[in-house]
Amino acid sequence: MIHASELSKRFGGVRALDKVSFEVKKGEVVGFLGPNGAGKSTTMRILTCFLAPSSGTAKVSGIDVFDDPLAVRRAIGYLPQRAPLYTDMSVIDYLTFVSEIRGLKADQFKKALGRVVEVCGLAQALHKDIGTLSHGYRQRVGLGQALLHDPQILILDEPTADLDPNEKAEVIRYIQDIGKDRTVLLSTHNLSEVEQACARAIIVSKGRVVADGQLDEIRAKTGAVRYVVTVDDKALRADAAAPSVREIEDALAALAGVRKVRELPNDESAHRFELSGAKDSDVRAEIFRLAVDKGWLLLELHRDAQSLDAVFRDLTRGDEALDRGRTESFDDDEDEDDDQDDGADEEESEKEKA
Amino acid sequence: MDAVLSIAKREFRSYFDSPLAYVVICLSFFGLGLLFFNFRGGFWQLDRATMQPLFEYLPAGLAMVVVPVVTMRLMAEERRSGTLEMLITLPVKDSDVILGKYLGALGLVLIVVLGSVTYPLFMFKFPWNLGPLDSGPILSGYVGLLLYAAASVSVGLLVSSLTESQAISFFVTLFLLGAFWFSGSMADQMTGAVANFLHYISFQTRMSGFMRGLIDTRDVVFFLSITALCLVISFRALERRKWA
Repeated sequence: MIHASELSKRFGGVRALDKVSFEVKKGEVVGFLGPNGAGKSTTMRILTCFLAPSSGTAKVSGIDVFDDPLAVRRAIGYLPQRAPLYTDMSVIDYLTFVSEIRGLKADQFKKALGRVVEVCGLAQALHKDIGTLSHGYRQRVGLGQALLHDPQILILDEPTADLDPNEKAEVIRYIQDIGKDRTVLLSTHNLSEVEQACARAIIVSKGRVVADGQLDEIRAKTGAVRYVVTVDDKALRADAAAPSVREIEDALAALAGVRKVRELPNDESAHRFELSGAKDSDVRAEIFRLAVDKGWLLLELHRDAQSLDAVFRDLTRGDEALDRGRTESFDDDEDEDDDQDDGADEEESEKEKA
Repeated sequence: MDAVLSIAKREFRSYFDSPLAYVVICLSFFGLGLLFFNFRGGFWQLDRATMQPLFEYLPAGLAMVVVPVVTMRLMAEERRSGTLEMLITLPVKDSDVILGKYLGALGLVLIVVLGSVTYPLFMFKFPWNLGPLDSGPILSGYVGLLLYAAASVSVGLLVSSLTESQAISFFVTLFLLGAFWFSGSMADQMTGAVANFLHYISFQTRMSGFMRGLIDTRDVVFFLSITALCLVISFRALERRKWA
């Protein structure tokens, strides 16, 4: 349904998109991930014919965005970032306005309005001015206007930004609902949302696609597994000394197959660590034996694929971290650096090849 | 075309959703009345039952305040608040957006212009009857006013589509319309080609014919050309976002 091929976009000297290609098939709900400034919104603006790409082509529903922008816009429902709405209009007036422009007939609009009001929970706010609504409600109105003409394709740009957790959960629920029989491309930098709503994700960084596939595939991509170990502050046996953080950390790091140990924040009564290991290894037995030998009280031990968070950080990390000689992003909470200089892009591609 | 009308309707209505339309209409009639009857003796000193002062004050008043106020937010506010993206990604052509916005703003300006028709009606028909109404110059005067309003709103729209700031849009439009108007008076102080050129572009000079009851095709074409030119440039300015 959505087909982007080698999309590039330059803003003056800044390269915002660099040969972005991907495809979204009918009925898929795809998460479009990336740090701020990675090119998510630019891509979506090209798909909705708000911007034109500097090079490359995009097709929506089989229609080229250059050939017939109006047909493309008719086929999609689009919610831009931060849901920019006319604040001086009431919700019902706004939806009427959108339906007029979309050319819905009066009876079609009436039906559509009933559906949208129900799906988006707008009944309470229908006659209020948009300017007086909370962010959450505005987002719902934005979603409502995108759904009015019952489009087969939805493009949602950060639909959950600025919302409180309850509102977020609700919007995600709408999207799950809506996504049952529609194609949805959803941009966000909130990874838990992607895990809830999408089966597939496309990760972009610095204007390039760095990962594209099912969530499990992406998680497996970095080839690491994660362990979480919690050891009680007190010793198991009365005669043994209470373990110190340093001691535990060193002992865990010394285990074969453990690449990296990081202490996680916890209260005073226990020490918590995150370990990363090679993809197909399992050191849980060794950890248990170690705890028994040393007389530690093991409170928690589990192993899972590396979290999407960590994968995301790995894939989208700025390269100044590389310059400092760090090869693992395991303990790297650095903010993203979104400079678009060419040197950075080259480094990035080298990393990709590796 | 439906989209143009929808956008124009929304634009026009939104003036009345805020105090803006009411303030503009009330104050312009108040100011117009004051000027018409009292400025330099106004209507009384003229000692003739003529409407000519109306056609001197109304265009200048429009140029000075009404048009810049009405047009300043047209595109500037849409760009600043991001609603432009929402509007343009609906199935509308860029030209529909420009035309719709233009017609919406022109609608409000025409309310002010056509509202002034009450002056001749009240004075020469009912409830007062100051004498026979010389309807020729009044009709041609209103034709001129419509054309003038059309041209000045398009100038305001053009300025608004080049900036994100309503304040900048207001002052630049005010300056441009003032300059177009007073270039006629300025030309009177000069001679030669410069004077001719200033007269040529002056809205004031162009309007004087209409005031005397003369509808000159050159003046009609002049105002229509200004309108068309400004609309086309506004359209280009909007389209530019795609490639910038």
